Amino acid sequence: MPQTVSPRLRRKETISAYLFLLPSLVFFLGFVVFPMVLCIVTSFFDANMNANKPDVFIGLANYVELWQDKVFLKALVNTIIIVLVSVPVVCVFSLWVASAIYRMKEGPLSFFRVVFYLPVVTGSVAVTVVWKWMYNNYYGIFNYLLKGAGLIEKNINWLGDPKYALACIIIILLTTSVGQPIVLYVSALSNVDNSLVEAAEVDGATNMQCFWRIKWPQIMPTTLYILVITTINSFQCFALIQLLTSGGPNYATETVMYYIYYTAFKLYRFGYGNAMGVILAIFIAVLSAVQFRLAKES
Amino acid sequence: MKKILALVMALCMIFALAACGQSAAPAAPAATEAPAEEAPAEEAAVASSISLWTYPVGGYGSEETVKAITDAFTAETGIEVTVEYLTYADGDDKVNTALTAGQAPDLIMEGPERLVSNWGANGYMVDISDMFDDTDKSEINAAALAACFAPDGAAYEYPLVMTAHCMAVNLNALKEAGADQYVDLESHTWTTEQFAEAVKALYAKFGGTVGAVYCGGQGGDQGTRALVNNYYGGTFTNAEHTAYTWDDAKNIQALKTLYDMEGIDFDAAIVGGDEIANFYNGVFKMAFCWNIAQQLNPNSAGTGEGKTLNGDDIVFMAFPSEDGVANLQGGIWGLGVFDNGDAAKIEAAKTFIKWMCDSEHTPEAVRASNFFAARSAAEGVDLSGVWADNEIMNEYTKLMPMLGDYYQVTTGWAAARTAWWNMLQQVGASDGSEDAIAAAVAEFCGQANAQ
Repeated sequence: MPQTVSPRLRRKETISAYLFLLPSLVFFLGFVVFPMVLCIVTSFFDANMNANKPDVFIGLANYVELWQDKVFLKALVNTIIIVLVSVPVVCVFSLWVASAIYRMKEGPLSFFRVVFYLPVVTGSVAVTVVWKWMYNNYYGIFNYLLKGAGLIEKNINWLGDPKYALACIIIILLTTSVGQPIVLYVSALSNVDNSLVEAAEVDGATNMQCFWRIKWPQIMPTTLYILVITTINSFQCFALIQLLTSGGPNYATETVMYYIYYTAFKLYRFGYGNAMGVILAIFIAVLSAVQFRLAKES
Repeated sequence: MKKILALVMALCMIFALAACGQSAAPAAPAATEAPAEEAPAEEAAVASSISLWTYPVGGYGSEETVKAITDAFTAETGIEVTVEYLTYADGDDKVNTALTAGQAPDLIMEGPERLVSNWGANGYMVDISDMFDDTDKSEINAAALAACFAPDGAAYEYPLVMTAHCMAVNLNALKEAGADQYVDLESHTWTTEQFAEAVKALYAKFGGTVGAVYCGGQGGDQGTRALVNNYYGGTFTNAEHTAYTWDDAKNIQALKTLYDMEGIDFDAAIVGGDEIANFYNGVFKMAFCWNIAQQLNPNSAGTGEGKTLNGDDIVFMAFPSEDGVANLQGGIWGLGVFDNGDAAKIEAAKTFIKWMCDSEHTPEAVRASNFFAARSAAEGVDLSGVWADNEIMNEYTKLMPMLGDYYQVTTGWAAARTAWWNMLQQVGASDGSEDAIAAAVAEFCGQANAQ
């Protein structure tokens, strides 16, 4: 016979639960929900930094202007390219590496985890300084090696040439993005029920069949998480751009996040910048929804 | 449910990032709602402590240098000065964030393009025009004085020091290439023709990049502007500082000439600081981002006045022009007061400004910067001999009469600067035809004027 909990005790437990939640809730409301609401509200205003000029409600004018802004459209295209390239590459590469190392002994496994995780925990400034040196037009190591190998005749201005700049940024982004997915995949693959794999092998299943029929479904929640966080990180690519190219050359590396920063903090158009933030959030939400749906179907 | 929660979380993350740092924006008008009632000077109390934020204006980037000055000020007046050191990389962001959050410092040290055209025009600065009497106005350099005043007559900066930005060449490389004949080491000037011949000789001797039209960002953009404007006598703005005029035919011609010149490369991967480093390391043979502070301490490396890393001699030069007489870009720096609504703090800040910029202490304040005094005398103290004992500074004074119009106070300056280096990037990435260059110039000059 189930025990009945008195309404008084239930109320007491509920109050206790909410009290435990309260500190986190205060931070969540103050640092997430409030700025979020403020962002949406401000996007409908001509909000600027002029203390003598009050913010003026302009309805959807900021949103209309966005679609006529060539730089924003270019930034949006660049951002989508970064997402479309980096998300699949990060997922496939990290799954491949994790598959190759997860059965190793503790020592080598830790070594590889450290190698791939190091760029994640290294500061963005340090990472970009090193990459900037490697990409340097005049004495960078890439030009040195490629010229030494006879593959190029003249130095390539990697970050200064619109043909190469975005690809260079994506390469750096990949190195800083694969660490966490590899660690997660190693953990997920280690947790796959090995008895199922052994049973399938006894029944004559190939390695590929074992992977796709047994392991893949079991690591699907991890894959979904990796897809979502990589997508969000790629959409929010900012530090690399700010530190390396300022969106150039010729807007070749302009991303929406950088353009938000530039519009808000250099041109002081807070309302316009927030409108971009709202649009970016919608893009991320839609893409995340698609990923959830596809994951559910598969 | 989980799906909805995950989507909400994703939205929260991006909104939070997009909104962070500007959340206080709507609070900005509050500053106007309760403007500081500036009490008459004789009635206002003087605060016992003030805060000063300074950009690295020459020696004012050094804590040791600034501390000696503020300690002396405190000892004399009893007013404590707390100093925070900004960098040009993120200083503006820090100040803007502080302003929108109502946490601005009492004093700021930088140039009129920020103090007058930006924060002053946006209503965050105290009008200090009452600090300029007729004697001050006669002693302060006319260009510096004009730059400190807004069009409505309010003054948002009190000038302390100034300099003329210039370019530099590697003298040893010039001699090796037989091109030292093209530079006048006495007057430090040259014509466009002599410049072109020197580049040609250096390129023939060393190959590679002799000099770079750097355009990776706004850092050091005064150099590229001066190079292009001087080459055939173009302008950047009109004389009234109401419109950007860099789309004139002379500038287009200059860009075309530079684009076609072997040895001069448009480089969108570097900014002024990178260019200086490349020049100092011997990669480039000339630098377009130079001034007296660099001449005294090239690349801030502390390896000797007027020397590259390899010990080659560096010669500072005016930018080339058709007649050999350049219009150099000026750098003017001084102090401004943020309106924090506290009359006592404002009075203390003004006391500091007077002590620094117009008193018997001014010579020391000028020397600390490694630049030149923005006025001829301060309260009877002659400032013309501040650098009498320094040979390089004395030599550099030859460039000061070439100081041109201080146009950085033109409306929409922040957007115009960005438009300039973006235009150079587009020119560099173009096929170099006159039409392509003219189109890039028209597009970005139009953008600058649209702000």
